[in-house]
Amino acid sequence: MGKPLETCDVAVIGGGPAGLAAALGARRAGAGKVLLLEREKTLGGILNQCVHDGFGLFLYKETISGPEYAERLAEDVAREPVKVETGAMVLDLSRERVLRVNSRNGYRLIQAGAVVLAMGCRERTRGQIEVPGTRPAGVYTAGLAQNLVNLQNLRIGNEAVILGSGDIGLIMARRLVFEGVKVKGVFEILPWPGGLERNVRQCLLDFGIPLELGSTVVEIRGRDRVESVVVAKVDEAMAPVAGTERVIPCDTLLLSVGLIPENELSKRAGMELSPLTGGAVVDESLMTSVPGVFSCGNVLHIHDVADWASFEGLAAGERAACYAAGERATGTAVHVSPGPDVKYVLPQIVTSGKAGVEWSFRVARPVRDVRVEVRGKASGKVYARGKYSRLLPSELQKIKVNDAVEEDLEVGCHE
Amino acid sequence: MSERAVVDRLTCVLCPVGCELEAARNAAGELDITGNQCDKGVPFAVEEILRPKRNLATSVPIKDTTAKMVSVRLSAAVPRDLIFPILAEIAKLRPQAPVRRGQVLIANVLGTGVDVIATRTLLLSEKPRQR
Repeated sequence: MGKPLETCDVAVIGGGPAGLAAALGARRAGAGKVLLLEREKTLGGILNQCVHDGFGLFLYKETISGPEYAERLAEDVAREPVKVETGAMVLDLSRERVLRVNSRNGYRLIQAGAVVLAMGCRERTRGQIEVPGTRPAGVYTAGLAQNLVNLQNLRIGNEAVILGSGDIGLIMARRLVFEGVKVKGVFEILPWPGGLERNVRQCLLDFGIPLELGSTVVEIRGRDRVESVVVAKVDEAMAPVAGTERVIPCDTLLLSVGLIPENELSKRAGMELSPLTGGAVVDESLMTSVPGVFSCGNVLHIHDVADWASFEGLAAGERAACYAAGERATGTAVHVSPGPDVKYVLPQIVTSGKAGVEWSFRVARPVRDVRVEVRGKASGKVYARGKYSRLLPSELQKIKVNDAVEEDLEVGCHE
Repeated sequence: MSERAVVDRLTCVLCPVGCELEAARNAAGELDITGNQCDKGVPFAVEEILRPKRNLATSVPIKDTTAKMVSVRLSAAVPRDLIFPILAEIAKLRPQAPVRRGQVLIANVLGTGVDVIATRTLLLSEKPRQR
């Protein structure tokens, strides 16, 4: 290679709510040289297009909009001697924590003592859910539409149908109404809404936008531009029911059908990924299967609240700083798996003997009057228990175990 | 319970317990709230049904800076039926850079006592965007 390597203690990839917090966390834990790399021209990530309020309730103890949250977090980072580079694209990450970076300063290699992954996520597209029909203009993912409307000042259509009831889709339903677009309905294939209840109420109910559960778009029609979509009810197997089809004239279809952690770099580094979260398999310090590489925010698992992505970022940054300073966990790995009605649980691995570990988990379907228990797989011992009158898949939950853990665990819902 | 005419079902958002509230009209036509586990649930539901308040956010075009739009919101929630009248006021805005986060763009909009504020800082750019 010839070129001497640039070095840093902690390199953070991504400058959104998780990455900004990770840089802060690394500084707080004493990392000397912290480098934050962001591929866009501005920091903040997706927050810049999330102009609605509801952010910051946990981090800043008040409800603010996405851009405000991003600016405040970026200001917190600016007070620290963190080297922030925008317009910097990380092209590759090796198992030895060498980053290949392309930026205004040219192409260079950086050797990091520890790396924090905070690349966020991407939207699931039409191709990934295989909606039949023609391929006209006017089909947007909800986040793309949000970018075009909120940042580019573009009108995306006149009459819209929204497929999927994820939070961005719900928020965009209201946003389009504000822009004078007629929103004809939100269609969700599952029997429950994908987004938070407050968004269903404040974005749909407030404006009389119908939400049809257990239904989906089975065909897109139109040659150059969307002219209509065909919707139909689905059965328990989520297959369209013949005879329930209905044609809805519209010129725009928004897709809010899920988010996928963006782990291209993680794959380059040969990292173990979880099929349940789409993100890395991590231990209690948020370290991935690649030593010294940590993961947080939406690249680790999809969050419903930006604040939690930031808290995760703070923790990942702190642990990364400790790793860069030479700290290593000792002990064997205890595995944690999801039990009844739990979709996933994180971290998936805990160092044996570790006490005070907190798990994030999400239920697989809405459940009522349950006890969530962290149980030892071999002993059946209950390490922690929480009672809930209702749990929804749209809400990320936490449960903490105070005792030291020595055996494999299962987190599950019980009657 | 059979005479209760249910007018709404809502989840209380004042704390993480998330009580599921049911609002009904009793024989006298008054709102009767059930399902609350604490005293705050009743006023929450009554306000949400009779006088719901909302914040609102949008963005407006801006010139001579690095971005095409500046995002705005209200400094506090307003009665829900004022959303569209306030949006019409915001639509008239043509702010000039520089704009600071929190800067009041419309003071006391429509006499509500609430301000329309910028939610993003946009500085005057040296090379204005070509359009």
